[in-house]
Amino acid sequence: MAILEAIGVGKVYETRGVETVALDAVDLAVEEGEFAALAGPSGSGKTTLLNLLGALDAPSSGEVRLDGEKLADLSPAALSELRLRKLGFVFQAYNLIPVFSAAENIEFVMELQGVSAAERRKRAEALLAEVELEGLGEKRPLEMSGGQQQRVAVARALASRPRVILADEPTANLDSKTAIRLLELMAELNRNHGVTFLFSSHDPLVLERARRRIWLRDGGIDRIEEGAVA
Amino acid sequence: MTSMLRLAWRNVFRNPRRTGIVITAVAVGIGGTLFSVAIFSGMMQQMVENAIQTDLGHLQIHARGYDADPEIGLLLEEGGRAEIDALAGDPAVRAFAPRIRGEGLVTSPSASVGVRVLGVDPPRERMLSLVAGSLVEGSYLDAPRRALLGEGLARRLAVEIGDKIVISAQDLSGDMTGEAVRVGGIFRTPLAALDRGTLFLSLEEAGSLFGLGSAISEVVVLGGARDEIPALQARVLAALPEREVRRWDELQPLLRYMLDTMDQMAWGLYLTIFIAMSFGIANVLLMAIFERIREIGILLALGLSRSRLVFMVVCESIFVTLVGLGIGFGLAGLCLVLLSDGIDLSAFSEGLGAFGMGTRIVPALGVQDLTIPTVVALITALLASAWPALRAVRLRPAEAVRHD
Ligand SMILES: Nc1ncnc2c1ncn2[C@@H]1O[C@H](COP(=O)(O)OP(=O)(O)OP(=O)(O)O)[C@@H](O)[C@H]1O
Ligand SMILES: [Mg+2]
Repeated sequence: MAILEAIGVGKVYETRGVETVALDAVDLAVEEGEFAALAGPSGSGKTTLLNLLGALDAPSSGEVRLDGEKLADLSPAALSELRLRKLGFVFQAYNLIPVFSAAENIEFVMELQGVSAAERRKRAEALLAEVELEGLGEKRPLEMSGGQQQRVAVARALASRPRVILADEPTANLDSKTAIRLLELMAELNRNHGVTFLFSSHDPLVLERARRRIWLRDGGIDRIEEGAVA
Repeated sequence: MTSMLRLAWRNVFRNPRRTGIVITAVAVGIGGTLFSVAIFSGMMQQMVENAIQTDLGHLQIHARGYDADPEIGLLLEEGGRAEIDALAGDPAVRAFAPRIRGEGLVTSPSASVGVRVLGVDPPRERMLSLVAGSLVEGSYLDAPRRALLGEGLARRLAVEIGDKIVISAQDLSGDMTGEAVRVGGIFRTPLAALDRGTLFLSLEEAGSLFGLGSAISEVVVLGGARDEIPALQARVLAALPEREVRRWDELQPLLRYMLDTMDQMAWGLYLTIFIAMSFGIANVLLMAIFERIREIGILLALGLSRSRLVFMVVCESIFVTLVGLGIGFGLAGLCLVLLSDGIDLSAFSEGLGAFGMGTRIVPALGVQDLTIPTVVALITALLASAWPALRAVRLRPAEAVRHD
């Protein structure tokens, strides 16, 4: 069964009386364990679709299902709970809570989930090691490079042990070497933990590594490519 | 939950200058108010204590009907022996004294003045009245046929120590009687009315002036702390069911009223100050929310519930307010420690005397003086966070994370 499903999803934004159709009748299913990317030119609706799939926004038409559950049926509290337990997000930049250290950022989600303090500490350390940031747990975001911050964000997304991680342009602010390292890391996590990854990106580095590319154009699916290029 | 508190606490100090300004405003507002309240209540307490310790006492025991019409014929027999026996065993009684209260006319070579005549038992009266310790001239009824009067009265009569005065009064049987005495002492108390209109005689001389024999008008009682007095009153009343036993605040309801209005005034003052400050606090919180829209979006994406978001904003508000409150308490405390010897107001003594205040005000702070601002501050913090919290909760996650 698909972990994420969009069925006839449309999204219309209205700003000052002007309507923008960002998505129009999109059907998409993302299977468990996928490492896929939404691709397409700027303004094609990648972020919009990702936000709808991630329960950050509600569609204007159609429906979104996560793990078989219709998001439209859920209360705001249930949606928070769902984001907390089943989803992880990595955004382009400034993902971290600036007043928390790297370790505190990672532990925060676990605390929201009710994980015990000892367990949190242990898992945060393991995750920092996994994203190659051993010993940097005490650093605040502003004391870290962009690549390090993104890796903390990935570690934090994993900390909640989600079913899916949604990453919107995670490499856009990174140089190519750092970007490749981050992507390799995520591919590893995908292989080792079976976490589903869905990216939105026009970075070729991302698209090459994705095992499926969903090309969007003008708010609709243009074509889908299977198989990694790199 | 500790992470939420830590997050809120650190958020408060993200913009130290802005937070500092609000905290300073709260601290100065609270400190200043607390200090003023301490001075005012010091004045009030002193006024009440002065009244109690010169004339009122904590309790007065009279024959029944005296309260409604204090006429000279309402008496306690045998020098108040039954009443004194009833008081003797009670551990809450610190001092008591028999008195005779009457009215008369004092005449000196230059004036005649209507006065209250108070017959007292000097050794006993000394233990409960400040008058004995307030002599400016002469001595305290230590020789026969001597009268003690206040500075104000002496001035009205234009008399000095040793001068002869004549007291005329109506005795128990309604006949006019008179007594010639000498001015034996002159006192000055903070109670202007006492100084201007009361003349003290020894108990025996007052008794013979009014023809009372061994009877007296009242027994005045001084107890311990003021809040223990109602219980003492109840015990005395139970032992003396035939008597009127009146408490200081029943005898002078105005004093009680002043103390009560003091509390109400403090509430009003704090409410006003805090309502004004709540706008400042709300404004700072709101600015902080607008600066952090994207971050709040991230928190929502992480799965933070709306109720926790509200909790965070409320905590930030409470932290700012409590830090300000703490510093304000500290400031006020420091000022009060520096002024613990009292503030010398002798330059204004004339004016203050009319209100029964002394010339040295010792600021007074009780625990309740701290609870009122704390309670009001917490209410204010909640109030001030309502609007910013609402703004934060209304943010839609997808739009918030797009924000830069
Ligand atoms: N909050 C919004 N209000 C109004 N219009 C919006 C909003 N968000 C997106 N849009 C519009 O919807 C369309 C799709 O935008 P979206 O951000 O999904 O594109 P994208 O594919 O992510 O682009 P990019 O590659 O630049 O990030 C665009 O035309 C955009 O202008
Ligand atoms: Mg986008």
